[in-house]
Parts: sequence; structure tokens; C-alpha cells
Amino acid sequence: MAAKKLRRAQLSQEMCERLSRYQITTCQDFLCLSLLELMKVTGQSYYEVQKLLCKVSRACAPKMQTAYEMKLRKSVNPSSAFLTTTLHSLDRVLHGGVPCGSLTEITSPPGCGKTQFCIMLSVLATLPVSIGGLDGAVIYIDTESAFSAERLIEIAANRFPAYFDSDEKLLCMTRSIHLYRELTCCSVLKRIMSLEEEVISKKVKLIVIDSVASVVRKEFDTKLQGNLAERSNFLTRGASVLKYLAEEFSIPVILTNQITTSLSSGPGIRADLVSPADDLSLSEGSSVSGKRDSGCVTAALGNTWSHSVNTRLILQYHDLPTRQLLVAKSPVAPFSTFFYTIEKSGLVLQDRKDQTNLVWEGTNPALQPIRVRNTALKDTSHDAALPSPTGETSRNASNL
Amino acid sequence: LSRCRCIPAMQRELGTLPLAPALRARLAAAGFQTAQELLDTGPCGLSKEIGISREEALEALQVVRQECDGNAARPAGGPGATRKFTALELLEEEQTQGFIITFCSALDNILGGGVQLTKITEICGAPGVGKTQLCMQLAVDVQIPECFGGVAGEAVFIDTEGSFMVDRVVDIAAACVQHCHLIAEAQQEEDHQKALETFSLENILSHIYYFRCRDYTELLAQVYLLPEFLAEHSKVRLVVIDGIAFPFRHDFEDLSLRTRLLNGLAQQLIIIANDHKAAVVLTNQMTTRIGQSQSTLVPALGESWGHAATVRLILHWDNRLEPSKNCEILFVAMRSSLFPGSFLPSLYHKVISLSCSVKCVLYIMSPCSTLRLKSHAVIP
Repeated sequence: MAAKKLRRAQLSQEMCERLSRYQITTCQDFLCLSLLELMKVTGQSYYEVQKLLCKVSRACAPKMQTAYEMKLRKSVNPSSAFLTTTLHSLDRVLHGGVPCGSLTEITSPPGCGKTQFCIMLSVLATLPVSIGGLDGAVIYIDTESAFSAERLIEIAANRFPAYFDSDEKLLCMTRSIHLYRELTCCSVLKRIMSLEEEVISKKVKLIVIDSVASVVRKEFDTKLQGNLAERSNFLTRGASVLKYLAEEFSIPVILTNQITTSLSSGPGIRADLVSPADDLSLSEGSSVSGKRDSGCVTAALGNTWSHSVNTRLILQYHDLPTRQLLVAKSPVAPFSTFFYTIEKSGLVLQDRKDQTNLVWEGTNPALQPIRVRNTALKDTSHDAALPSPTGETSRNASNL
Repeated sequence: LSRCRCIPAMQRELGTLPLAPALRARLAAAGFQTAQELLDTGPCGLSKEIGISREEALEALQVVRQECDGNAARPAGGPGATRKFTALELLEEEQTQGFIITFCSALDNILGGGVQLTKITEICGAPGVGKTQLCMQLAVDVQIPECFGGVAGEAVFIDTEGSFMVDRVVDIAAACVQHCHLIAEAQQEEDHQKALETFSLENILSHIYYFRCRDYTELLAQVYLLPEFLAEHSKVRLVVIDGIAFPFRHDFEDLSLRTRLLNGLAQQLIIIANDHKAAVVLTNQMTTRIGQSQSTLVPALGESWGHAATVRLILHWDNRLEPSKNCEILFVAMRSSLFPGSFLPSLYHKVISLSCSVKCVLYIMSPCSTLRLKSHAVIP
């Protein structure tokens, strides 16, 4: 919209020629000038310039819709508003599943199940609508080379044995998952920008980027001056393109993120965690100091990124082999927690009968502490992040 | 372009009139100085003297005449003219000014009655704290009928981040209608019943005008077109821009251009707020500022943007109370049907559920029983 040429904004031919002499060819150039500059450049009077401004604005302003029209449109087509995850309690809390038309982020320490979750959701997106899928192709941008086609088939065969009863069906499903390996920020951004045509031609219904954090952290060292601003720039640009794709085609976009330590009392340095071996030194450090706010593990990529994603799910360790899934940011769901394990068929929720609505007191999604492997092993009863769910629900029930 | 009213209109210098620059240059070259001279010469004489066509000369004279007559005859309160008030008149005007109430007495008290019309209010906060929720709630609350204490207006919602959820607005609107019904039952007045006939879910949703702007150019264009839109929809009393920061945070190598565009936006919004008696609500993100010894969260878009808003609300998470629990902060938006009209400062809980459509967004406050407000309304 911004790059729209002025001649398509219905300005007269001679006006367009005159403006192009000053290098003003697009609507964006025109609207960025002040009124006095416009008067000088167009040679028109104040009132004329106002009228021109309105004309150009009309060419790029968005269309108006009332909230009522939006609701009607949604109610006409309710099933396509979500991608069900087949984790029933999670779907219920999220009012249907992973929402279409917005960005969902999955954050976790290494080895918790991010890629497994992404692979599982890819299978789901290819299923026909009658079983709860979106009946479309999947674009999977893999930056860590963690995608395994064998695991994909294993999950599909074990989760939906009734549907994938023949090899042919499995192969058909694998054909609709398009994998791209991108290893630098630049190539990821270029790939995202080129996705619009792919989405239309291949009838894509899900975009997965696994993971955003790995490329960004390889290239932007936030300890160096200026890098923080550049990183924000890259992230917000990527986020706005992805939001455009998500909204335009009404599809879910899933991104994965890593973890980092944020030392709130120290000098704003972010130590990066790359391997599970680092967990050990980290947890020892924090328990020795004893204070809660000096050093805790949170989602990486900073504040700006936390603003850009609409939903944030955190996966963390509880006690091996159980892990925990937290809904840390969502416009429609309260803070909730679920236990799960990773099995042959992907993620499986442990539905404990006594917890109907697992709600807990969450906090800023950008600073939500995440449990890594060793803290989980050490302190299962006394934890910084979460009170036990049963205690929580009974306490809340008495106050409602 | 100064419009100084103490100079008699006819003696105005040509430089202060809104003529095209080329024309002005020619007039200056020919020696014309005041508006009176132009009018005395007449269109034919003018065209011969400076070498323009008669039609152009006539047009220029009409502009001049309109300017001079217009300034003399324009009423004091007209749009665009300078206005002159005594402080007493201003005080009376401010006291009768409407507020957009939120049915949350704590928040309304902090703001001095509610979100004020004709002023710009900025809401900053960390991600997920509830800025968009609050904006969606205000878009519903602006429509509350006057007999319940509202301003009975309509809302314009400009969304740059795509976080507007229609289903959530439906929940909030349903709860608001329910709340008004309860008030009407408790107080049993006739105009309440009449107002409730038009205050329905469908009407509320139809009067929220939604625009989705994907980059700053569309945002600028939309704000240029707003005065026209508001003139057509004269009942609009709230303009929300959800995410003023997002489109300006990337693709700007030239930060001075960004500052200039933001200042221009702020000016236009102030004019809109005043001319149309509307409240303008903006939401802003927080960004990390790396200081020498620590990093802090500050509102985004820089220092100069801080002057744009009259009221700045900062919502933040409260981590200080108990080390083992992280409590949310607090703005109690609407409570359940148990206590119509008054709100007990007890524990609230964040529940968003479809099954019970009465509840809206309730926030956890401090675990002790007193109402402790941690929010700051910073009025510069």
C-alpha cells in the first residue's frame, strides 16, 4: 500500500510529473512531507494541497468495517478460525485451538518438545476438516535442521491410525509439507517475504518457523552497541510481514523461541543458553545467590518480540518425564498450565481428573521464569515459577 | 501561516495568505503588499499586471476575500480559528465535560472521573498486560447511555498490530449490557428502560468502526481522513489507535523523520480531539533502555513523544509483593453480577470464560485484603 505509485492515486498526469521531478513517486513519499513542503513542491495553495492530501490518503487508507460485520463474517465460517491441537484441555482453554490469523510462539529450553509440537501440528494441518484439520499444505522453515521426516511419519501413524491406514496416505501427507532450510537472518527474511505467492499456489494453511531465535542470536550480539536496535528492527519487520500473511489468508503462524537468562539486577547482559550442559552452571549460580530476581531463565529475543506475538506457550520441565505447558500470553485464555509427556504419537496431555481449570498467577510474558532441566530435578516442591495447581484452584474457587 | 486577529483584515500582508507559492512570488515581484491592494486592483487589472489568466486572478481574489471576511465573521468557537476564553469559561467547560466511564471505580477515580473527552490518553505497558483489552473495553463503554453515566457515543478503532479480537468484544459488550440491566432493575427508572432498548449487543458492535493499518503510511493516511469521517459520523466520541509504536519501530533509518511524523500525528490528534469533542486513546509499547548499571523498561518512541499525551497510564506487572508468587496488576475492568453499582476491594481473579458470559476481565490484585493501587497515572 505504501509503495503505491501516485498516478494510481488519481492525481493528474502533470501533477505526477511535477512531483517526480522532486523524487516523489509513491504515496509514502507524498504523505511523509509536511504541508509547507507540499505547497512548495506542488505549487498549489493551502486548500488545494489539503484536497490533494485527502485524495492520496483515500488511495492508501484501509477500508472500514464495523465490529458487527466482522462478527457476522466469523460466524459464517466458524470452523476455520482455529487449528485444533487435539490436546483437548488446551483447546478448551484457548477457545478452539491455535488461532488463525495471528502469531503463536512456543518457547522452551532445549529438549522440551518444541520441534515435536511443531511436527505434530504440521500433521494436523494436513488432515481433512472433518477430523479437525485444515486440509492444506504446510510451509516449514527450519533453521536448526531439527526436522525429522521419520518422526513425522511416526507421529502421524500413531496418532491417527484410523486415518493413515495405508502407506499412500502417509506419503500424500508428507508431500504437502514443504521444508525450507534457511541459515541466516537475511535468508529467513527473504523467504518470509516470498511466501505470499507460495501460500496461494500451494494452498498453504500453516506456516511454521523453527526457530526464530537461533538465527537471530547467531548474528546479533546484543552486547555490542547498536545491535539491539538492529535486532529489534529485523524482528519487527519479520513480525509485520508474518502478521500480514496470517491475517490476509486467515492461517495460523507458529514460531519457536529459545530461552535466555535475564539478570535483572546486573548490567543488562543477556547470557545465552545453547546447550543443556549450561543448565547445570546456571541453576547452581542462582541457588547460591538465593535471591529470586537475580538471574532467572526467561524467553529470549527481548521485549519487543514479546509485544509482537499474540499468543505465547511455554514448555518447561516438571519432573522427568513429565513436562509442563503454560499458556503465558493469550488474548482469549487465562494463564493455564497442563502436564504432558512426549510419546510415540507426539505430545500427550496428562489429564488429571481433579483439576478442571488450572489457573495460576502469571506475570509479564517477557519475564516469565522458565524451569530448566536441573532445577526441575532439584526442587520439585518449592519452585519460583508456579504454586501447585491443586492448591491454586481450591484457593481461587473460594474467592469467586 | 499566522492568523493574527489584531491586525485589521484588509491590512494583512500577502505572506500570511494561503496563496500558491508561485503566485505569491509574482505578487511580491510586482510590489503588492497587502490584501487591500489586491482587492482594489480587481481581477482584470491583476491579470494584466502580473501576467496570469483572468480566471486565476479571480480565484486568487476569492481566496483573499474569504480569508479576510472569514476571520472577521467567524464565530469564536469555529474550527481552525483561534479561540479566546476566560479561565472561568474553561473551568465551566471542563466540569461539564463528559468522561468515558469504565464501571471500575478504582480506575475512574485515578483518572479523575474516567477517560476524558478532548484529551489524549496514552496507555503504556509490558506485553500481555492488557492494553488492547482496556481499549476494547473503552470502545464498548463509550456507548453507555447517558442515564447510566456514559456519553452515548460511538468508537473508531484503528488497529496496527492485529490484536483486536471480535469474540472478546462480544463478551465485554454482553457483560456491559447485563450490568446496565442490573442497574436498571435496582433503580427502576423509566428512562433506564428506554435506553436499554437501543443498548443491545448488535448496536454496540455496529457502532465500533474498525480500521486495520498495516504500516505507517496507511496510519498517516487514515489520520488525514479522520476529520472527514468524524464529520460524517458525528456521534463518535472515542478514537483508539492500538499500537502507535508498532509501525514506527522498523524501517526508519532516519530517526528525525520519525520524530517529525510522530509530532505531526500528535498535532492532528489534538485538533481532532478538540474539534469533535472526542477522547483519543493510544497504546504504546515498552522498550528496554540500557543504562550504565542496569536496564529499565521505558515507554517506546523516545522522549519527545512523551509530551504528546495529556494523561499517560502505565500498566505494569507487580513482582514485589511475595517472592514466590508473581501477582498481576491490576485494573479491575468489570466485575460479575454480584454487586451492581459498587465494587468490593477484595480479591479478583482473571477469568475469561465463554460459558459464563457475565464476567469480563477481572484482574488479580494484591493477595492482602486492602485495595492497593500500583498503577500510576502520570499527568505531566
